[in-house]
Amino acid sequence: MVMIVGVIVLIAVNIILLSVSNRRYLSYYGPGRIAISLVAPFQEAVSSSIRFVRDIWGHYFFLVKAAQENDNFKKALNHAVEINNLHKELKLSNVRLRSLLNFRKTIKDKVIAAEVISKDPSPWFKTIMIDKGKDDSVKKGVAVVMPEGIVGQVTEVSTHYSKVLLIIDQNSAVDGLVQKNRARGIIKGGSADRCLFKYVLRKNDVAVGDTVVSSGLDGVFPKGLPVGHVSGVIKPNSGIFQEVSVTPYVDFEKLEEVLVVLNHKKHKF
Amino acid sequence: MTYCFHVGICLCLVLFQTTVMPYFHLFDRFYDLLSPFVIYLSLFQSLRQSIPVILFFGFLMDSLSGGPFGLYLTTYIWLFIGVKWIITFLHVGDSFLLPFIVAAGVLLQNCIFIGTIAIFEPGTQFLSAAISMATVQVLWAIFTGPIFLMFFNYSHGKWNKWLEKVFAKVNS
Repeated sequence: MVMIVGVIVLIAVNIILLSVSNRRYLSYYGPGRIAISLVAPFQEAVSSSIRFVRDIWGHYFFLVKAAQENDNFKKALNHAVEINNLHKELKLSNVRLRSLLNFRKTIKDKVIAAEVISKDPSPWFKTIMIDKGKDDSVKKGVAVVMPEGIVGQVTEVSTHYSKVLLIIDQNSAVDGLVQKNRARGIIKGGSADRCLFKYVLRKNDVAVGDTVVSSGLDGVFPKGLPVGHVSGVIKPNSGIFQEVSVTPYVDFEKLEEVLVVLNHKKHKF
Repeated sequence: MTYCFHVGICLCLVLFQTTVMPYFHLFDRFYDLLSPFVIYLSLFQSLRQSIPVILFFGFLMDSLSGGPFGLYLTTYIWLFIGVKWIITFLHVGDSFLLPFIVAAGVLLQNCIFIGTIAIFEPGTQFLSAAISMATVQVLWAIFTGPIFLMFFNYSHGKWNKWLEKVFAKVNS
């Protein structure tokens, strides 16, 4: 009985103390200060350690994952750039092929498109190799053209490939005309990617900028195809011919695709 | 096996020269890459190992080029003979001489080319262009020729070592 009363009293005192302590804030200089001062440094140390570990986890291990993701993104970006370049190249190729196709419609003869696969190993000679040969009905001597103008003539044919002598080679000759006044001459390969328009009579009025076209009289190139423009005229004091230099319209450094004229009908003289 | 090495190297050089180099305008007036190889053959290889390779690649280059057929073959043979003759009185182990040997070889090649064009195309006005091109090629040869020679020599050494290892494995 006494024990029960004692417990009840203890509970009551406890409740009273709790209610009193609940109403009064303990001052900084109270007894809790000592406990705080004792425990807080350890708490701080533990917390700091936890933060340190968490930071390492967050900034290192997590960053490893981020770095991996970064690598993946870079790979994806490179792939996208590669595809983009491929699309750009396809777009340019498409423009060139469209141009070839449009030009092809203007030629009455049967033509075949070919790709340039290599250039002459020597800078002294100007030839290219194309990926069409006997199997594609290419024959020795047929003309090779571009929308911009005449490229050259096939000089050797194998089963799948052909060698083309460019008009800028010293061995090349094309019968040509000045478009405006029909002055005739032979376009021969010269130096520095230029041609010489030989055997043009002195009496013919040829000026810089005039267009030179093929005459068709050589039986190789179709008539009226542009060759180049006159870039220099020298009229010597004596002689019956003038010296005319011609810059071809075709940029031979950038040749990628060409058209081979397969069945050009030769003029009968 | 040495023939395989020579043919492999030459094919790489021909492909590089005809397909890759045209894309770089810097190399528009670069010399024929097979010239240093012919010089390498005459400097470091025997007659028996060199002649078939020179004949084969002379023929190949003549087929690829727009020049008169046999021009490259002629050039390579004269180059080979010329260098073999030079080394009878010059010490080839002296790497100081290599740039000049390659330059002389490239100059000889250019002279043969110019002579051929002048003979077969009389009246062609190309003297100034020819001199300029030959000069540029010789300069390229002086600076880059020895690198090619050293590369050929080094790769041949590596190739031989690799072969020895392979044969040793097969025999054991």
